[in-house]
Amino acid sequence: MRYVTVLSCIVLSIAGAGCSWLDDRPAPYTSAPFTAQAHSGSPRLTTARDTLGAAVNDFFWVKSTPKQPIEFPHNTHVEKGLACTEYCHEAVTKGPQAGLPSVNTCLICHAAIATDRPRIQQITQMSEKGIDLSWQRVYGFAPAAHVRFNHAPHIRANVECATCHGDIAHQTVAQRNVDHNMGFCVTCHREKHAPNDCLTCHY
Amino acid sequence: MAHRWGMAVDLDRCTGCEACVTACRAENNIPTVGDLQASRGRAIHWIRVERYFEGEFPDVKVNYRPVMCQQCDAAPCEPVCPTYASHHNDEGLNAQVYNRCIGTRYCANACPYNVRFFDFFNPVWEKPMHLQLNPDVSLREVGVMEKCTFCVQRIAAGKDAAAADKREVKDGDIKPACVQGCPSKALVFGDLNDPESEVSRLAESPRGTKLLEDLGTAPKVTYLQGVEHA
Amino acid sequence: MDRRTFIKLTAITGTSATLASCGVPEHQIIRFVPDEELVPGVAEWKPSVCPLCSAGCGLNVRVMMADVDVTKDGQSGVVRKGVAKKLEGFPTHPISQGGLCARGQAAIQITYHPDRIVQPLKRTGGRTSGTFEPITWDQAIGEVVGKLDALAGADNTKALAILTGGRRSHRRLLFDQFAARFGAPAPIVYELFSDDLLRRANQLSFGAAQLPTFDLANANYVLAFGADFLGTWNAPVAQAAAFGQMRRGRVGVRGALVQVEARMTPTGATADEWVAAKPGTEGVLALGLAHVIMRDKLHPTDSGRAGALIDGWSAGLPDYNPDRVASITGVAARRVERLAHDFAQREPSVAIVGGVPLAHTNGLFTALAVNALNELVGAVSRKGGLSFTPQLVHAPAAARSSLAQFAAGVVPQVLVVDDVNPVFGAPRAMKVREALVKVPFIVAFGHVVDETNVLADLILPDHTFLESWVDALPESGSAQAVVSVAAPAMKPLFDTRATGDVLLQVASKLQKPIDLGATTYDAYVKAALAPLGDEAWSTAQKQAGWWGDLPKGAAAPSTGADAKPSPVTFVDPSFNGEAGEYPLQFLPYPSAAFYDGSLAHLPWLQELPDPMTSAMWSSWVELNPKTAERLGIGLGDVVEVTSMNGAVKAPAFLNPALSPDIVAMPVGQGHTNFTRYASGRGVNPIDILAPVTHEDTGTLAWAATRVKVARVSEPDGRLIMFSARGELRENPHEGETR
Repeated sequence: MRYVTVLSCIVLSIAGAGCSWLDDRPAPYTSAPFTAQAHSGSPRLTTARDTLGAAVNDFFWVKSTPKQPIEFPHNTHVEKGLACTEYCHEAVTKGPQAGLPSVNTCLICHAAIATDRPRIQQITQMSEKGIDLSWQRVYGFAPAAHVRFNHAPHIRANVECATCHGDIAHQTVAQRNVDHNMGFCVTCHREKHAPNDCLTCHY
Repeated sequence: MAHRWGMAVDLDRCTGCEACVTACRAENNIPTVGDLQASRGRAIHWIRVERYFEGEFPDVKVNYRPVMCQQCDAAPCEPVCPTYASHHNDEGLNAQVYNRCIGTRYCANACPYNVRFFDFFNPVWEKPMHLQLNPDVSLREVGVMEKCTFCVQRIAAGKDAAAADKREVKDGDIKPACVQGCPSKALVFGDLNDPESEVSRLAESPRGTKLLEDLGTAPKVTYLQGVEHA
Repeated sequence: MDRRTFIKLTAITGTSATLASCGVPEHQIIRFVPDEELVPGVAEWKPSVCPLCSAGCGLNVRVMMADVDVTKDGQSGVVRKGVAKKLEGFPTHPISQGGLCARGQAAIQITYHPDRIVQPLKRTGGRTSGTFEPITWDQAIGEVVGKLDALAGADNTKALAILTGGRRSHRRLLFDQFAARFGAPAPIVYELFSDDLLRRANQLSFGAAQLPTFDLANANYVLAFGADFLGTWNAPVAQAAAFGQMRRGRVGVRGALVQVEARMTPTGATADEWVAAKPGTEGVLALGLAHVIMRDKLHPTDSGRAGALIDGWSAGLPDYNPDRVASITGVAARRVERLAHDFAQREPSVAIVGGVPLAHTNGLFTALAVNALNELVGAVSRKGGLSFTPQLVHAPAAARSSLAQFAAGVVPQVLVVDDVNPVFGAPRAMKVREALVKVPFIVAFGHVVDETNVLADLILPDHTFLESWVDALPESGSAQAVVSVAAPAMKPLFDTRATGDVLLQVASKLQKPIDLGATTYDAYVKAALAPLGDEAWSTAQKQAGWWGDLPKGAAAPSTGADAKPSPVTFVDPSFNGEAGEYPLQFLPYPSAAFYDGSLAHLPWLQELPDPMTSAMWSSWVELNPKTAERLGIGLGDVVEVTSMNGAVKAPAFLNPALSPDIVAMPVGQGHTNFTRYASGRGVNPIDILAPVTHEDTGTLAWAATRVKVARVSEPDGRLIMFSARGELRENPHEGETR
């Protein structure tokens, strides 16, 4: 038991140290003369992870639960007949990213529809102040995963949104339903005889 | 048929201007290491222009030669990698899989062309220079090897664009950044499995040579020699 | 629960709890509503124009969405914005033809430079204090207008001076017009590596005060006198494209390049034959060839006007027989004969002159000699020869004074500085800084603080070329007329304003407003392009410019011949410094990375290995190995180069492709105040130049200084070479520091 306590302490202190490194980050636009030192002494732990704590979390597959700016009800919109790739994630057929809608997109419909609901009034107010919705990513790859995922070819291959994103149509706020680990991708690529070379995704 | 990507470098066209070097840096998020690290030999250039002096003044001759990863078919860097980070793909590319790389640097030692670079530290882009970064290319972290990829992101984009149009990739569709930027069109890229492609034609040229061919590395980059002047 | 799971769980809860208090969670970042929506992750390509040199390459800019840090109403947050990711040559543009030089590719870093000036600055301390405070645009423009109104009120408009760089664009025409309408003298244009002497020579020889365009793609034999036309001179991208075509673009025909120069440029390194004529005698070699061609009747000897400018031409140039040429130039007589025969018989052939030979005091003679040689073989206005790109008509500027005259002349009351840094780029002995310090009010436009604008009272930060309307008026590089112009490729990142717009606004706010025909810069350019027809403006915006045949009335008339000068004859170049005390000629040359030093703030270019030395982040002094041996200097040793005007210390590089009589140094480093990347790095060879100027043009004869060199110490590690990594080398010891 003492062993466990000691280990926990070590982990905690390391994570704490990671936190303080983050705080030491230099202010942007400092005009300090350029030296090679500034280059070698990176304030971040790695390109992918700012702190050791983040690295430990990643190692143990601990992901934060995203807290969205508004509780967007996916189910209501899908029930009303709106497809995922209309308006909100329309970039999905064009390129790598599906895109997250700005408040302008919401107001395409909600300038007229359901304007009495508090959430709609909230976004209308935001729009008037010029503030956008800062959506948090639910899916996505850490930089260190070195994955260059492209949505468009998957849509062309008629992969359903639900295959990778789960049954979001019946959820309110999007949740991480599917673990996007390499096994998940490779299995599907094998079944569909899609390329499985490392360079298909990692570059 | 699968592609087999290759390049031809016409040394008779090359002017040593290094447009390719900057184009590569811009495309592939290659970090600027600074003077101190550069003095320690840690500067990274996936493509470089080598310069050779011959003779003494006033009968001096200089030769330029752009050198990038030769994407060898029998690559010395591959068998030495304990984690298969350096591997060969179906299209003949020497892939460097950063996820697998543990930074032994064996591959860099094995490479006779000196085109593999180790990341000695995490790259820094002083804001707002980070806005220039190409989102189609990974940022490599400390401890991994990196090298020319023949702009694999452009190959992927070219294949994707062709697939979207329901057609085959045409010769000239895909140009790595160095090839695209070259003012004198000294660099040619294409599919060596396509006998009609320009790069196949140039690879057959009697002027064609391979770099350090006698090592048996079977490079996929062909250097077309300039002719000796009269 | 087993022990292992417990440990894992403890660790997870522990770190997660600790990290919860860490940093700024993403949902707390304020995100502003974007004012443009691009498809995320998909590149859009927008045309632009490279602003770095007068070539005027059309660009294709890769624009993608990114999160940009902004501050709105005192609130900091992020906004999605289309930002430039990469610059390429515009595929169909006649100057860039899809390619782009190393400097042009790095130009993107101007926009993202961490030391950019983000709002107008007003000096708070004394003239040389370098301390500034931010002010608003209204304040800044009000202050400029106030100073100009004061001049106009005192009927002293002549006391306004404008100092600009040499890049040819409508922006310069706007400054010209502003000066003329305000009643001020014409703006002073300063370029270290000015080609004005060649323009002057071309006016005398061909009636065109313009740099020539070379049809290299169809040439079979090219003889270049010092012009680094594939590296830094004139329109290198267009010329390199044509060169590639000349060498390997035609079936069964391969054009040859012969380069005459005393320090090998990258162009010389690419040449088939390199001829190391004594510096300053290149014109004699040209006339030696002409002598042989006329003597052997290799070509009809009708060289009209250009030949008539050379003393003894009609008599067959008796003074330039091969033996005499050999004794003057150091090129063997037999070689002169062979070059002459090749040049005359491997048609079409063309000679190019530029760069170092014209930076000697006898540069005008050299240029006229090469012009006559060209005319002798019929290279003018011929396929595979040279021609002059038709120019769009515009109002000619009044006579300008030179920078040297400005520095020595009457101190203006108000000085406007745009796109030029003479404190760095002019010899110390010209005393430009001393002159600037005396000016009561200086307003400077620019992107970053440099050695000149740090002396200003007001610095008005300009949009970069990617953020604003940008244009260029290429004078050469294309057989057709070209006007490069493009709309902004991205929205501005900071509180900056386009200089053209600011100038127009100032003009309209004066007590006696100046009507320049437009209120914005794009409207000004649009009006200037009106003679090209209705379609020209919209066409230009799609393809980074307009090109084609100029409609009637839109073409600038030939400047014609002016008073016929007396025929010229060779005189030895003169130098500042006695040969006894200063035995070596000093050659500062445009560096492949920084050109004249105005690009030293871009880290990509700092880390670009020099094509000859592979040096990065460094200054160096080039010496022939024999000279170095005589002086006891080894690679990397610190040496001192001393002229009558000062001394600089830098590490030595031994260059076998350099005449033993010459010490060469690249221009570009040695900035004292030019962003974090360039400040305090290396030394500036311009500092020790003698202020010798050409009589005809007032431009600097930058190769007219003599120096002595002495070893100071062992290598101090400041010469950083990429090749020291130990890649493939013929000589395994090359590139190693002793």
